[in-house]
Amino acid sequence: MPILGFIFQRVLQAIFVLIAVTLFISYAIRLTGDPAVMMLRESANVTPEDLARIREGLGLNQPFYVQYWEFISGFVTGDLGVSFFRGPIGPIVSDALGATLLLALTSLAVSLLISIPLGIYAARNRGSFGDQVIRIFSLAGLSFPNFWLGIMLILIFSVTLRWLPASGLQGPASLIMPAVTIGVILTSTNLRIVRTTMLDTLSAQFIMVARAKGLSERSVIYKHALRNSSIALVTYLGLQFGSLMGGLVVVELVFNWPGMGTLAIEAISQRDYPILQTVISILALMIVAVNLVVDFLYMALDPRIRLE
Amino acid sequence: MMKLTRMLLAATALTVVALPAVASGTLTIAQRQDPQNWDPVDTFILAWGGIASNIYDGLIRRDESLKLQPGLAESWEVLDDGMRIRFMLRDGVTFHNGEPFDAEAVKYTFDRLLGEQGAQGPQQSNYTTIDRVEIVDENTIDMFMAQPDPVILTKLSGYGAMIVPPDYIEEMGEEHFNLNPVGTGPFKFVSYSQGVQIELEANPDYFEGSPELDGVVFRFIQEDSTRLAELQSGSVDILNNVAYSAIPTVEADDNLKIVSVPGPTIYSLALKSVEPALTSDVNVRRALNMAVDKQALIDAFLGGRGTPISQLQGEMSFGYVPDLEGYPYDPEQARALLQKAGVAPGTKMTIDYRSGNSTFNEVVQAMSGFFSNVGLDVGLNPMEDAVFLNEIVPQGRTNEMFQFNWGGWTFDFDNTAYLSYRDGEKWNPYGTSEEMNRLLVEGREVSDVAERESILQDIARLAHEEAYHIPLYVEDQIYAISDRVQNFTPAPDIRLRLVDVSVTD
Repeated sequence: MPILGFIFQRVLQAIFVLIAVTLFISYAIRLTGDPAVMMLRESANVTPEDLARIREGLGLNQPFYVQYWEFISGFVTGDLGVSFFRGPIGPIVSDALGATLLLALTSLAVSLLISIPLGIYAARNRGSFGDQVIRIFSLAGLSFPNFWLGIMLILIFSVTLRWLPASGLQGPASLIMPAVTIGVILTSTNLRIVRTTMLDTLSAQFIMVARAKGLSERSVIYKHALRNSSIALVTYLGLQFGSLMGGLVVVELVFNWPGMGTLAIEAISQRDYPILQTVISILALMIVAVNLVVDFLYMALDPRIRLE
Repeated sequence: MMKLTRMLLAATALTVVALPAVASGTLTIAQRQDPQNWDPVDTFILAWGGIASNIYDGLIRRDESLKLQPGLAESWEVLDDGMRIRFMLRDGVTFHNGEPFDAEAVKYTFDRLLGEQGAQGPQQSNYTTIDRVEIVDENTIDMFMAQPDPVILTKLSGYGAMIVPPDYIEEMGEEHFNLNPVGTGPFKFVSYSQGVQIELEANPDYFEGSPELDGVVFRFIQEDSTRLAELQSGSVDILNNVAYSAIPTVEADDNLKIVSVPGPTIYSLALKSVEPALTSDVNVRRALNMAVDKQALIDAFLGGRGTPISQLQGEMSFGYVPDLEGYPYDPEQARALLQKAGVAPGTKMTIDYRSGNSTFNEVVQAMSGFFSNVGLDVGLNPMEDAVFLNEIVPQGRTNEMFQFNWGGWTFDFDNTAYLSYRDGEKWNPYGTSEEMNRLLVEGREVSDVAERESILQDIARLAHEEAYHIPLYVEDQIYAISDRVQNFTPAPDIRLRLVDVSVTD
């Protein structure tokens, strides 16, 4: 039962977060600009009557609580409604979400594939030449602005060598450069986390015990040490995933990746309330869900962590 | 580490094979903006016209030299002192879905534009001078005007007046039509992916003959450097709205070239003409005009590709005054005028402008330098589009100077002038003069072409005299094209006509 109670509590939390976030965003965006004006921004003959007519057509003349209720009740029942500028929201958001998930998960995978082995190597050979090289690599990775790295990759692999498509989402080849760009940035941090926590763990008594038992080095490192040092990494990955979902705008722009970040920015600049509300709600829900997964992972990784 | 490098190399090598090859006969154009909606009544984006003028036709077509040509109407007659226009329609034309084009379709198009559906979009306001369309016979319609509109023929060549297929829209619904356009134009819609691309294929039954190309793909790439990279790497054939900073790179590449033509968009700063702003004094406004070296701005930030202007229109516009000389660049005289107006050196003023355009950002910074040269301390106040267009300009809450740019797609001064000089209009929150308002109204009442032109020219002269703006320059439309592309004619209004274009491999 405690696990059900835990989930129930988390669902309540999710609902609270969703309402608080969407209420705030919906209200705030309405204070800052009028989609009718944005619609007519390149227009010549704008009269106040035109604006009123468009506002009425978009349902903006209704009180805020009515508009909000229409949105939230639609969202919960899966009816995402229609954008002010671009037709039904369902397919638009699901395309963007798919593109973002693909990029986020691939970059995380790239980063883990690099940072775990290298982090372990660095920790075990602390102070060695290899360790120094890895630390310099990770510092460099942290120092590159990601848009710069992206543009450099495009110049080398698309313009000069013509190996990879410069932008867009068209087949697996187009995933490589964006995933590497983000992957490098993530790797730099993850590598440091793996190295530091691994150093702590490797000097712990239970590792000495494991070695004294005569376990193979492989088993000592990957079974005992890695598992015990992954709590920090998992926490950090959860946070990273959250920021990857909406925060890849710069990389999305450079590679013209049709993801959630770009969608949100466009919706904000056009004051496309319905799209923005949907995007924010989905992001909020995903972040809540990832945190939940992280909590469960804690329990799996360290049985001493239990529900309190 | 080595292993990883090898893995990455292997992955890279694998994907080289998967690169999409450009099909022969397909032209790829990259542009910044995705119009997002293909319904003619729902848009007001210049970039929409660039794409959709290949899918749809209007009754009238405007060609690359901005002359009006027959479109779906073979001929027309203006009757009853401009209160009725009779259109003789082209026979035997069908929409891409096979539906016939006839008087019914024209009537449906205008009923829809002027009715409930049109009311939800921005286009209706452009066509309110039309009262109704009546069918005379299958190939003839009468357009009855609510008031004479001298610019109506030009307007019929653009945007909202594109003829749409009645049965298709009724059967499939409006939402479907938004994203799956059907027209009579030279290219048929194939697929559209939001924010990514729209794909068109040749319409072999096009009434002026089948296009040379098999198809056209318009890709939407926001980032300037990425668009350029796509052109350099050969996956894109034409870029429109090329960033000025990209011109040298394109010119240095043997396979690419720059093609440009003066465009419809003018840039200027409007001046707040009411108390207590110092710019309420006409001497101050003239001084500000004299403080700025327009040609220097064009050379420094537009790569020389622009034309200085003395009025809010370029020379292709109807109503242009060829002999109207702008205020000279004369800092001496500017200082003298400021002194005469009692503006002390070191006086503070501010420019409000839209922050989205990096070129204009540089231009206003340089202008602030020009102003400091005549003793003013001019601050910059960049703003987001929505705030600027909503809260600041129409409410009359600007500072002394504010950005005013105008995409005059009608190439007729009436639109620009009315909206910027008539009291109470959005772009004229501060009012002008009685004389000006009288001219503006008069200009809309006469239907005689020569008389109307002379009124529009009087308006331009008066606006110059009163220095309501600092007119800066008209921008060129700049295209970068690869040498694969043959027979490309740049269009001043971005409405590319691709019927005769072909590509070589």
